[in-house]
Amino acid sequence: MNAPFIKYGMFGDNVGLIVAFVVGIGFGFFLERAGFGNGKKLAMQFYFRDMAVLKVMFTAIITAMLGVYFLSVFGVLDLSMVYLVPTNILPQIVGGLILGFGFVVGGYCPGTSCVSAATGKIDGMMYIVGVIIGIFIFGEVYPLIGNFYNATPMGQITISEWANIPYGVLVFAVVLMALGGFAAAEWAEKKNAGKEGSLITERTDA
Amino acid sequence: MSEQNEKLNKEKPYWNPYLSGIGLGIVLLLAFVIMGRGLGASGAFSSLVVSVENAVAPSHVQSNEHLKGYFEGGVNPMKDWLVFEVIGVLAGGFISGMLAGRVKKGIYRGPQITDKMRIVYAVIGGVMMGFGAKLARGCTSGQALSGGALLNLGSWAFMLSVFAGAYALAYFMRRQWT
Amino acid sequence: MRNMKNLTLKQKLAGIALLLGVIALFAGNPYKGNHFSIDSKEMELILSKGADLVKPEELADWTIQGKSDFNVVDVRSEKDYQQYHIPNSVNVPIAGLNKAGLSKTEKILLVCTDGTISAQAWTFLKAKGYKGVYILKGGLNEWNSKILFPSLPENATPEQTAAFEKTKEVSKYFGGTPTIGGKTETKEAPKVQAPKLETPSGTNTQSSEPKKKKEGC
Repeated sequence: MNAPFIKYGMFGDNVGLIVAFVVGIGFGFFLERAGFGNGKKLAMQFYFRDMAVLKVMFTAIITAMLGVYFLSVFGVLDLSMVYLVPTNILPQIVGGLILGFGFVVGGYCPGTSCVSAATGKIDGMMYIVGVIIGIFIFGEVYPLIGNFYNATPMGQITISEWANIPYGVLVFAVVLMALGGFAAAEWAEKKNAGKEGSLITERTDA
Repeated sequence: MSEQNEKLNKEKPYWNPYLSGIGLGIVLLLAFVIMGRGLGASGAFSSLVVSVENAVAPSHVQSNEHLKGYFEGGVNPMKDWLVFEVIGVLAGGFISGMLAGRVKKGIYRGPQITDKMRIVYAVIGGVMMGFGAKLARGCTSGQALSGGALLNLGSWAFMLSVFAGAYALAYFMRRQWT
Repeated sequence: MRNMKNLTLKQKLAGIALLLGVIALFAGNPYKGNHFSIDSKEMELILSKGADLVKPEELADWTIQGKSDFNVVDVRSEKDYQQYHIPNSVNVPIAGLNKAGLSKTEKILLVCTDGTISAQAWTFLKAKGYKGVYILKGGLNEWNSKILFPSLPENATPEQTAAFEKTKEVSKYFGGTPTIGGKTETKEAPKVQAPKLETPSGTNTQSSEPKKKKEGC
């Protein structure tokens, strides 16, 4: 078996779009199952009261990371053909900070706001409106910030290449880190259980 | 309060976060294996924005290096993997919500804030998110999740700064949520 | 030892993750890009037939006919590419070939100045398991002399002249300047440098092909 399938010509671009839709359904389904259509639940992450964001995100990351790793080691997947977003370290750090601000102010990220909107939540819908405005503003001010956007390019690079640590060792380290994080998350949730304002299902029904 | 809780109790509880996470991870893995690329969300909105701009003011798009890039080679930015994926996300979220009895008009908020203010914050947060995601070349889905699983250097730097930014501002936002 | 059944779901999942993580410590590098093998028999056959070489004339024909089942990949530096490139070609400098993620399904036609770098790239891609990899014979040098600036000697035979008529059309299609016996057909003096081809300047470009196809990627 040769993967990624589309790079080995199992199907063309149009079928790829159907695959995108189906994969999207899976993505949206599990986001909603996890409770990520709920901005209050997401925000509680940043008050150490409901650590689902960290738990779900890192479980997903280590699941996919281990899957990619072992499929590649066994020769099923050609990892060099999986697209890596090129690194521009400074704009990514600054962008991450702004995005983090937006997360705690608005309660969602783009993916979760879609799920929230799809389940009828007004805050999720308005958040999407905000995201669209933000993207529009970026496009309009691009002539001013284009230089910064393209600053500090490092190309397509993994932590393994950058720090010169064997990939397998990093996989192990990430698993350890995630498990440590989960243990800390469980502890924090227990400690903050029952605090005022922690009710994640709090909302106005129209 | 108790009345509201009673009503909410009819909704099924959320899944165990670890099981949801494994589900998400498998979807992400499938995207890598089938398509050779990860998930995303903000990119679909970018396609939408440039398409509308191009329909309204094509000459303006042509004068902007960044916007112009979306139309290079005569491609239609809406005929894109992320656009179709996000339509799927909306469908998937709706399906899951229906099955759990959670599709209901409403606004999630903290106990001390009015609905109006919550909406204002949602829009402001969205603007910051949209801008930040463009600057960082991806959002929580495209960078943190997908790049995280591939041990992409920039994605991990991004992920750490997302958490840093959110925790740094959380104190000032406490009236909204708690 | 605790009975497995006494463990909670969380603990079991954590155990599995940890186990896989420990195995990963010893399982090596997932980027197999470092180790490839070549089928020497297949290689011998291709080399003896020169089957992977494409003449400039063939490429010109394909382009004019609007054939699109192949990718023209220019492996020169970005700077050289900016200066001049064959219409519809994409630029992948040879150093970035490993990570370019080129499709394995489409034919790849490699282009460089004289064919040397293409040959290196060809070997590399072949080793990586790409099936349809081709080289533009003689590179851009031959493309220039055969397609863009073809010339007909003054004492040409009628057959040569007849063949040249066709070449002339092809040349003009790509914005080139054909010459007869050292004199240019058009009023322009023959340029040493190839013209920019983003917008073909020849008069015979009103073919049925959509304009879009002629733009670089």
